[in-house]
Amino acid sequence: MTAGGVTTHAGAWIRQNLFRNARDSILTVVFGALLAFLTYRALSFVLGEDWEIQRQNMRNSLVGPEISGTDLWAPVIGIWLIAAAVGVMIGALDRSQHADQPGAILDPLRPAHWRQIAYRTVARLWPVFALVVFILLLTGSTTGLLVTLAAMALAFLGRAAGVRLPLGSVRWAALATALAPIVAVLIIRFGFGIDWNDWGGFLLVAFAGAAGIALSFPLGIFLALGRRSKLPVMKGLSVAYIEFFRGVPLVVLLLIGSLVIGLFLPRSLIPSEPIRAVIIFTLFTAAYFAEVVRGGLQSLPEGQEEAAKALGLPAWRITSFIVLPQALRNVIPAIVGQSISLWKDTSLMFIIGLAEPLRLASAFTRQPEFRGQGLITLTLFFAGLIYWIVSFTMSRESQRLERKLGVGQR
Amino acid sequence: MSTEPIAEELRDATVTRGAGGVIIELAQVDKFFGDFQALKDVNMKVGKQEVVVVIGPSGSGKSTLIRCINRLEEHDAGRIVVDGVELSNDIKAIREVRRETGMVFQQFNLFPHLTVLDNVTLAPRQVRKTPRAEAERLGRQMLEQVKIPEQADKYPAQLSGGQQQRVAIARALAMQPKVMLFDEPTSALDPEMINEVLESMKELARTGMTMIVVTHEMGFAREVADRVVFMEEGQIVEVGTAEHFFTNPSEERTKLFLSQIL
Amino acid sequence: MTAAQAPARARPPLWRDVRVLRVVGQAAALVVVGMLLAWLWSNLQNNVDSLGIPAPTDFSYLNQPVGQSIAGSDLRPTQSRLDALQVGLVRTIQIAIVGIILTTILGVLLGIARLSQNWLVATFARIYVELFRNTPPLVVIIFIYLGMFINGGFLPRVGDAVEIPNLLAADIRGISVLWVSFTDSPWPYLLVLVGAIAVGWGVVRWRNHVQDAQGKPTYPMLSGLVVFLAMAIVGWLALGGPTELSAPSVAENGRVTGGNKLTPEYAALLIGLVLYTASHVAEITRASIQAVARGQDEAAKALGLSAGQRLRKVILPQALRVAIPPLSNQYLNLTKNSSLAVAIAYVEMTRVTSDLVANGAPAFQAFLLLAFLYLLISLATALITNFINGRLAIPGR
Repeated sequence: MTAGGVTTHAGAWIRQNLFRNARDSILTVVFGALLAFLTYRALSFVLGEDWEIQRQNMRNSLVGPEISGTDLWAPVIGIWLIAAAVGVMIGALDRSQHADQPGAILDPLRPAHWRQIAYRTVARLWPVFALVVFILLLTGSTTGLLVTLAAMALAFLGRAAGVRLPLGSVRWAALATALAPIVAVLIIRFGFGIDWNDWGGFLLVAFAGAAGIALSFPLGIFLALGRRSKLPVMKGLSVAYIEFFRGVPLVVLLLIGSLVIGLFLPRSLIPSEPIRAVIIFTLFTAAYFAEVVRGGLQSLPEGQEEAAKALGLPAWRITSFIVLPQALRNVIPAIVGQSISLWKDTSLMFIIGLAEPLRLASAFTRQPEFRGQGLITLTLFFAGLIYWIVSFTMSRESQRLERKLGVGQR
Repeated sequence: MSTEPIAEELRDATVTRGAGGVIIELAQVDKFFGDFQALKDVNMKVGKQEVVVVIGPSGSGKSTLIRCINRLEEHDAGRIVVDGVELSNDIKAIREVRRETGMVFQQFNLFPHLTVLDNVTLAPRQVRKTPRAEAERLGRQMLEQVKIPEQADKYPAQLSGGQQQRVAIARALAMQPKVMLFDEPTSALDPEMINEVLESMKELARTGMTMIVVTHEMGFAREVADRVVFMEEGQIVEVGTAEHFFTNPSEERTKLFLSQIL
Repeated sequence: MTAAQAPARARPPLWRDVRVLRVVGQAAALVVVGMLLAWLWSNLQNNVDSLGIPAPTDFSYLNQPVGQSIAGSDLRPTQSRLDALQVGLVRTIQIAIVGIILTTILGVLLGIARLSQNWLVATFARIYVELFRNTPPLVVIIFIYLGMFINGGFLPRVGDAVEIPNLLAADIRGISVLWVSFTDSPWPYLLVLVGAIAVGWGVVRWRNHVQDAQGKPTYPMLSGLVVFLAMAIVGWLALGGPTELSAPSVAENGRVTGGNKLTPEYAALLIGLVLYTASHVAEITRASIQAVARGQDEAAKALGLSAGQRLRKVILPQALRVAIPPLSNQYLNLTKNSSLAVAIAYVEMTRVTSDLVANGAPAFQAFLLLAFLYLLISLATALITNFINGRLAIPGR
């Protein structure tokens, strides 16, 4: 195409999308000015401010003030583990999706594929990369850079291993990916012996979110089946549970967890504050998962269950082999959506006084060198940015998945 | 209708067989969807009171053709004139043409939130500003014509597919259009319901309504069509009476297509 | 064999009888749950005894005096804790109503903007939605509260207030907005207004009726509005101007006078909730309009309806039905999220409760009561939604 062709294309696009008529042109001018002003303000905020306070407190933001020295290797090892497992799963997924056309499988060990891999990874995860680059540039930490590069290398090698796994090992890879965070938590808590109360910053909220999702999932499925049960007692108990936890704000539940749960247990059994928060997150999210799974169960044609019955399968096999796998597949995007919700809700640990990112953000501004300079906008912005990037990336991935699975559109 | 051998001039799509003058005229019409050309230099005329059936494989542009006539699609080149009004970007012309043409869709497209009677009276009241009482009298009359007066107060989802399509016909007729466009009106119907819809359409044809019908129902074409137009790849390939298509279609492509649907 | 002698049905052994198994299974579930609850309850009793706090069924703490006042309310410290809770409940409901109205306006506008053919408008709305939908509401609220008000990163300090003349003035101590207040008892004029609404509505009905009968457009909404305004103005004049406008302004010394002053706590909570929830409402609006099948718009076009008529008669009535369940869910979320007020010390229901507990009220009863109140609100919302859904349900679907 010639340069002239490009210009006319662009011209036509601009006319069609920006200046169709007089009203449109006015809108374009007004919103153009507004967008330009906001972009200018945002850029001058990010580039023009002195980020010294965040630079000095980066470690505090990420893992909390109580983890230092060699203990810092605990979260690092956790990240490496998860990176490797995710790499394996992506490789295995790629393999199984292109089983009939092996040429389309991207193999990290073939340099010819590197560009493709890099391109796709950046296209999907650019907000995360942008954040990591921002953090590395700000702190100028060589160790941080090496840790990041090691994590990327592990994901890369994991992917190489993933594409070499035999077909059908996707589910094992997925299981490994699900187990990796659990192992990471165990390493940090018991391998390095870091007490629950010492977890802080984004390490704390990531742990609370991941644990909440993992634990609430089985409970949610159980409740959904209970709600669909023909047995009145099962149904009644499930409905009461679900409606209670959906009707009361999470803030109130967390306060109850912090101030009331202790009254219901013998003193020796009372868990630490972070664990009580995780328990509340679990109980709360289970009620929402139950409704999501119920939606999936309702979307299944009745014929599926009848066909299975006609084959003489026992009830529990019908549920676990026929009904649940299909129902859960249909609601994967909704489950991701619920996970995003919980991720955002972990910020509520602020209210029960835990060392989560928002509380830390305001604590930084009370340090002697930064006191009274109105720096709270900086530290809060940084904390909010990480919350945003994680949830934005997850929601983009969930939309991708939705398109791929073809659910949500009938 | 007529069994006489086809006159040679009928091979040209711009020669009409209607009782009066020309009501629809398409001249050198092109239509693109992105890079795909859906209509290529289409020339066609339809006379008053004429019934034209358009056949052709899927993707041949026959739906696009009639959707251009009431401007559900904008044509990219050429002229389309309906009852003396040329279709352009002029919103007044578009409104005028739509008022004078009724359309029946493959998927009925009844308004699910309105009763059958409200579906039928919506346009007369909103567009023609007909008083409600008169619009309803007219609406019931139209429902009578398609033989479902008793369904007036039900909602579309409570009717069978055939009944819904007949409501759709009544809805279009209620605007007292000069031309009726049918876009595969029986393709979404169960076999036992096709006939009731075709009967309504035949009756309409007998009243002298100008109709353009996209359909594969060759029996219908044989009974009421003045002309049959065969389209492929956005072009008009062959024109003639239904009899002509049954007995000796001249083009190879036409023969191949007919052998698949008959 | 005769018909009378039907063979006796074979009885399976009890442990294989489906019906017996069902009953036993349910009984077992009840017993397990019951035992769990009993264990928790006995722990509660033991703990309460050993701590020497009121028994879990003793709600008499509600009658004791609060011992403190609530900012912005005329509650006296000598009034009971129940009165304080009532103030909190009213405030929760009040912020929910104001929040829902503002959220709906902003969210619907953004949702329509998302569908705009103008690329810049659609992009602006998309950035807004992605920005606020993916940020925890607590972050937004605290950012506004600490970042804008208390520490003044974006708003000027006291004595240096900014204003949009006569409409709005702000500094780090709060926002003042233009407000209407009554010089005397508000009731006479409120009655006039109610009457005006009734008459205006009657006019709308009447003009609609005429339009139906004659077919000619009679502009029902416009006529109704004109009649309403005329009555409102005449009534206002007749009552000798019972209201006065209070416009905020910045005085010589740079301080804000006049207007209705919103405290930083209230403003931060309200703005935060509205910004966050509007992003969800925008998505619901967009999805609902897109959910109306394309054929519907085509059919309406083919009938010759104008763009406005298509929107009013065909698209919106259907989109609204799709939107109501998720919308009511968002409204409920906003109401529940108003409990985020505890983080910034705006005193509503949750904050009152946690303050009461901090001042010695028994935690179990206080939070049980709080949870119960929220459940009541949820239940009421669910009932209203179901009622509206039932009224709007399309027969045959």
